[in-house]
This record gives sequence, structure tokens and C-alpha cells, in this order.
Amino acid sequence: MARRPARPRLGFGLGWLTSGLLLLALLGGCGERVAPDAPVTLVFKHAKILGPADPVPGLLRRFEALHPGVRVRSEALTWSSDEQHQFYVINLEGGSPPFDVMMLDVIWVPEFARAGWILDLTPFVPPAERDAHFASAIEPAMQDGRLWALPWFMNVGLLYYRRDLLAKYGLAPPDTYAALVDQVRRIRAGEGDPRLDGYLWQGKQYEGGMVNVLEAFWANGTRLLDDGGRPFPEPDRARESLAFLRGLIESGVSPGWVTAADEELTRRPFGDGRAIFLRSWPYALDLFELPDSPVRGKVGVAALPRLPHGSVGAASTGGAHLAVSARTRHRTLAVDLVRFLTSETAQRAMTEGAALRPSRPALYHDATLVARDPSLVALLGLMEKGHPRPITPYYLMLSTTLQPEFSAVLVGRKSPAQAIRDATAQVDHLQRVIGR
Amino acid sequence: MSDRRLAWALLAPALAVLGGLTVYPALWVVWLSLQYRVPVFGISRWAGLEHYAFLIVDSRFWNAVSVTFAFTAASVALECAIGLAIAVGLRGQHRGRRTALALLLLAWALPSVVTAKMFEWLYHPAGGLVNFLLGGRPINWLGDPALALPALIVADVWRATPFVALLCYARLLTIPPDLYEAAEVDGAAGLQAFARITWPLVRPILLVALLFRTLDALRAFDIMFVLTGGGPAGTTESLTVYAYRALFQTLQIGFGSAIGVVVFALVMAVAIVYLWVIDRAERAA
Repeated sequence: MARRPARPRLGFGLGWLTSGLLLLALLGGCGERVAPDAPVTLVFKHAKILGPADPVPGLLRRFEALHPGVRVRSEALTWSSDEQHQFYVINLEGGSPPFDVMMLDVIWVPEFARAGWILDLTPFVPPAERDAHFASAIEPAMQDGRLWALPWFMNVGLLYYRRDLLAKYGLAPPDTYAALVDQVRRIRAGEGDPRLDGYLWQGKQYEGGMVNVLEAFWANGTRLLDDGGRPFPEPDRARESLAFLRGLIESGVSPGWVTAADEELTRRPFGDGRAIFLRSWPYALDLFELPDSPVRGKVGVAALPRLPHGSVGAASTGGAHLAVSARTRHRTLAVDLVRFLTSETAQRAMTEGAALRPSRPALYHDATLVARDPSLVALLGLMEKGHPRPITPYYLMLSTTLQPEFSAVLVGRKSPAQAIRDATAQVDHLQRVIGR
Repeated sequence: MSDRRLAWALLAPALAVLGGLTVYPALWVVWLSLQYRVPVFGISRWAGLEHYAFLIVDSRFWNAVSVTFAFTAASVALECAIGLAIAVGLRGQHRGRRTALALLLLAWALPSVVTAKMFEWLYHPAGGLVNFLLGGRPINWLGDPALALPALIVADVWRATPFVALLCYARLLTIPPDLYEAAEVDGAAGLQAFARITWPLVRPILLVALLFRTLDALRAFDIMFVLTGGGPAGTTESLTVYAYRALFQTLQIGFGSAIGVVVFALVMAVAIVYLWVIDRAERAA
């Protein structure tokens, strides 16, 4: 009787003690606290830069040399864009994010700006510095007349064509889709190779599929949203664009499998010499020119063609921007790091080492860079004319909502008219939810 | 009485951890599902049951429900049937059994994202192994609305069958060979021995495998997400993919939570039914 009450208390205490210790161990594992007298540490979150040589560590050491007492720790993000977005959202919405400078996909900048997650860079960046980048790269980083991020490297949609095949039939790269379709027919009839596909593009239900549909809208002189944010300002033209894409598949100009294709799935067959045309980004160029590539020296790039109602073909821009977390404790330093990494010096190093394309037109005239990569000359004009995707904080919502509708047209499940009706209803609902 | 208190005291930390890590977040999700929460636009207001009312008329939601059920029913049925067949086969196998087991484990040990990436290339219409083996016809596995879901089911069956096979195989090992010998003496061999000995003994463990696989399949995400992204035309968008898109891509925290609550309720309901069936089966045995 005297002993009994002691037992539960002991058990109780032991249990709590154990779980407390466990918790402490967990917390201890997470906390890598910088001692107060240690130099300032900036954390730079970015995706791993692929390519021959990663120039980022060298650049960061150079920045540290310029700023004594500052250390920059670079932390890799996962490669998938969806996961990067998820990582940022969780960390930025949750409280104090464990990073100061971050790499953003260009389409997220307005969203992050609207959410108040990133710092307004307008006061820190002189107009001349801003204007040294392509307007098509700065435009999507602007929101409410303020600048929220600086471009780090840039992408633009390209039409790849088989120079050897076009030359064999005396053809010039097509500037209209009608010409492209005609060229595919002539070349395939002449070659008589059933394994040679015509035009490859990305029709999977994902952001890349959205890009291809948007490009078809622009090519036909229309847009997804008008200036007031209303969807499908010219529904007839949008219908034509969608019908054209579906027609490519029905007529066999594009193989049926483009409806499940992303960049890599289309890049491979073209790289194996099994297609005449390909829509992709500049990264593929380097892979086509590798020493063991079957199409080495046979690939040309041109602007994307246009449709009947368009005056020019328009390619989507892409790429990465750098922004500063609004909650950073080292505002000036973090902004300095962004300005340093987007400077001409840094972008030159990125272009040389990682085969990424710079967002500064000046570098496309740089003799050394052009000697290393002659495609820069052709890319300059294409980058300048690049077209940003709708610049709005709810772009991702919009894209995710519309992807299944457009995919339904591409696989023949819905008529273009039906898809546009359904898509309009969905966008209306979205706009009601966010109060626009 | 005091022993009871001791029991509770010893349970307390575990309960606290469970409460903190499971019950609290679950209740929080329910709470979120009753609100409009879109952080990017600074929206945070009470919604009541509006998200659920919207789900009732949301065709994308009902599509996701039917995709989820079709995927679950087909993949779990195939996994259990093939898994059991493999286990029975393994038992009769004398040479190379270890190798077979190791190969089985390999499929199960691969992270499902890796499996999905692998199948992406297997299914490639122009250069994929599947079409090559089928005589080189360019079948559009992942891009055809009628084929995409079956293709995903096959990928899931490939990945998860070993789990069922190993569970059943472990059970089969515990059946004394004398039983089969006695059956043979009595003139019951082959199918009859399977129906009278193997099946009744393996059934309880198969039910457990069924439970695990069903709960997993109802929450399937990676395979759809990597292989098709829910396409084409939304024909492979499961409830979890829809919830993910609402939560993490379009940042509609309230609406996404409502889908999450539905998935949770569904999984719980299925689990309860299964547990009840398993319980009854055990009592009967």
C-alpha cells in the first residue's frame, strides 16, 4: 500500500522523460545555429545547375572575396519544378524561411510578389541595370510597377529542323504552320521512311503542354487573357489554334504520342534522327551537337511559325529568376548577392560553364562566347521576341485548371468549342474565389 | 486500479505523440476545409460547408473519384491474384528460389518514383520496350485516354505484386508439408489440395495484404503524378493528385483540405469495413 503510489509516478515520469529526450534529440538535429560572433551566412537556394561544369561554387567564392566576413551557403533544390514550388510555398507561408536568396521559375514571380514572400527590389536596382536584360525577361518580374526579381538565365521556345533534310528538298525553314505541314508531307513522301516522324511537340497534361497551347494562341494573334484578365478575348481564334493542334495529330503530321510527351520524350527521337521538326527549348541544342549524336551538324533553329491570323510566330519565354526572401535578416547583402549573380560577369561564367543562355543581350554579342557557341547569334533575335506567359499571381492556378481542358482537345475527347466553354466557366469560378 | 493508472501513464507519451502528430493535424485539416484560405491573395474567411457543396457539383472531383476507384479495384485485384499465384509457385520451386525472391524484392524496393520513370520509357510509343515486344506498333499508352489508366494499373501491379507475394509466401512456409502429403494419400491433389488446404490457410493473410494494398491504392499518387500528371484529359487524375494540385500548386488551402478530408474519410471507411471482415474471419476460424 505504501509502495504502490510511487510506481505510477515513476512510470509517468520515465515515459515523459524519454519522449522529452527524443524531442530534444530531434530538435538538436535540426538546429544548425550560427554562433553570434561567426561571420554572416547567407543561404542561397537553387536547383542544381547541369552542364559541363557547375559555375555556381566559383561565383559564390568570388562574392565572398568581395564581401569579407560573409559566407554563402548554397543549398540544392530538387530538380522537378513542382517540388520546388511546393518547397517554397511550405517554407515561405509557414514563417521564417531558412534561406535568404532563392531561384524562382519565371512564372512564380508575380505570385510570390503578391503573397508578400519576396522583397521589392525596385529601390536597389538602378534602371540601367534592369534595362541591361531582355525586356521579355524583365516584364514577367514586374508586378504593380515594381521589380521583384532579376533574371538569372533565360529560355525561349524554338523550332528545331533538320537542316540536311530541308536542304535536300530545297526548302527554307517554314514561317507558317501551313508551310511546315507541307514540308513534312513532301519530305516524308520523298524519304519513304515510315519511322520518320514529322513535327514533335509537347502535348502532355502539364505546364509544358500549356506552353505549347499558349504558343498556338499567340501564333494565331490571340491570347489566353485580355488586359482586363478576361479569358479568351477572341474565342474563334483560340478555337482555330486548338483545332490546328488536334489536326496535326489527326493528319499524322505529328505522331499520336505527342499527347503524352514532355521535353525529353520528344528530344530523344529527334536526336536519333527520327523526326523532321521539333519544338523545344535551347538546352536540346547542346545535346544534338554532342560528338556521338546522330544529328550532329544537321540541326538548325528558327522562330516558331505562325497561324493564319497571326502576324508573327511567338515563342514562350522561360528560365529562372533570383529573388530575396522578404524575411531575410541580411537584406542588403542578399540583394547584393542577387545583383552579383545576375551581373554580366556572373552570367558570362554561367554561359561558359553550364551552357545556359544569358538574359543580357550584350553577352550575345560577346566575341569569346559566340566563338564557343555560335547558336547565340540566332538565339538573340528569338530571345528578344520571346513572349511571357500570362503575368498574373494566379497563373499557376489558371494553368493547372486549364491543362485538362486543353489535353481533352488534343486527345480528341472534347471539341475545341466545348473545351473553351468549359475552360471559361472554370476561369470564372477561379476568379470568383480569389475575388477578381 | 493503480495498475490501470500505471498503464495509462505508460501509454501517455505514445498517446501524446499520436495526438500531436496524427489527431491534431487531422482536426486542423478539417478546420481548414471549412474556410476559404488562399494565402497568395490574403484570403482567409469562413466558408462553412461551401467547399463540400462545390465538390458535389464538381465534375473534376467525380472524375477523380471514379479514377481512384477504378485504379484501386483493378490494381488490388490483380496484385492479390498474381501475388498469390507467385507465392504458390515459389513454394513448389526448389531451384533458384533465392534468386526469385531477390528479384521480387527488387521491384518492391524501388521507390515508386523510380518505377514510374522506368515505365515512362518502357511505354515510350516510338522507342519503348513494350511496343517493341508487341511488334513495333506505335501504341500511344500514356497519351490515349482509353489506355492511360490501364497502363498505370500495370505499372502499379508490377511494383506492388511482390508485397502480396512475399506475405503469402511467408504464410505458405508455415503450412506443414504433412498436410499436403496426407491430402495426397487421401487422393486430393492439385486444385483440390489448393482449395481445401492452401486457400483456407492463406486467406487471412491475403485479407491483410488486401487491406494494405487497398489503402495504398486509394492514396496512390506518385505513379500518376510522374507518368501522366493526371492526363490525358484528366483520365488518370486520382483524388490525391487533385488534392495536391489544389493544395500545393494552386494554393487553395481550404478547398484542397476539403478534398483531403474526403480522401481521409474514404480510406477510414474502407479500413473499418476490412477490419470488420478480418475480425469476423478470425472469429469464425
